[in-house]
Amino acid sequence: MTLVRIDNRLIHGQIIETWLPYTGARTVIVANDELAHDILQQKIMSLAIPQAVKSSFVTVDEVPEAVTKLSSNSGEYAAIILFSNCSDARRAFDSGFGFHVLNIGNVHYSPGKRQISPSVALSDEDETCLRHLNKKGVELDFRCVPNDPVQVRF
Amino acid sequence: MVAKTGKKDGVIGVVLVTHGTFGESLLQAAEMVMGPQVNCLAVGIDVQKGVDEALEGVRKAIQSLEQGKGVLALTDLFGGSPTTMSLSLMKAENVEVITGVNLPMLVAALQGRTMKLHDLAEQAMVAGQQGIKVAGAMLRKKAKK
Repeated sequence: MTLVRIDNRLIHGQIIETWLPYTGARTVIVANDELAHDILQQKIMSLAIPQAVKSSFVTVDEVPEAVTKLSSNSGEYAAIILFSNCSDARRAFDSGFGFHVLNIGNVHYSPGKRQISPSVALSDEDETCLRHLNKKGVELDFRCVPNDPVQVRF
Repeated sequence: MVAKTGKKDGVIGVVLVTHGTFGESLLQAAEMVMGPQVNCLAVGIDVQKGVDEALEGVRKAIQSLEQGKGVLALTDLFGGSPTTMSLSLMKAENVEVITGVNLPMLVAALQGRTMKLHDLAEQAMVAGQQGIKVAGAMLRKKAKK
């Protein structure tokens, strides 16, 4: 299966210990403009990814192309695509990366945000992005780890 | 964060960087075994907080422990954010990172702090690995003899 996820930590323990085994993903695509240009941080983040899993780091604008390439290379593909925030996910969707379900994992709290679950705090802008995607038919899945109860109270 | 600093000159600093309060409790357990320790700290990472804020906490801890011999960061999960954060500080600080911290590893790390940083890291890793036994099976084997 393919997982499209918002997680401000990108690759970390929850991804490696729970989502990788759960999805059976063979590829992890990290879509983040800052990381796409930070080779050292890329090496650090991908250090603990199992050898059988490929990882790539792309800018948000490169996501549609990267996903098309992946599906044409391997047909039915299992992958995890990670964004660090809601507006990046929206930007990729609007520029042609179509997805049906968006998992919202970790969106950390800062002043002015509304805490909607233990791991998700949304600003007005975050909320606008998610409502926009929801209107376009994207199902919102608020789960930190796979066995969290699906808690869509949005 | 629990501060355990003292005035002993020139020892390697030991910082535990873990999910939640694991490191803090582990340090308390080590002190039950070894008595009070100096120049060591536990930093708990709250996954609900931002990465930058947490990273600054780890950086400050490492800097406060630096006495010119480097700092050994013991982290819990390889691939977890406490590990990732510690690794990202290697460029700016004299720090070595060991993952999979357990009590035997911590005890070994606290015992060899006048060594070279690299040697202490090796010693602590070996102690951590050697401390894992299926002790029940060992006992059964011994009882058969």
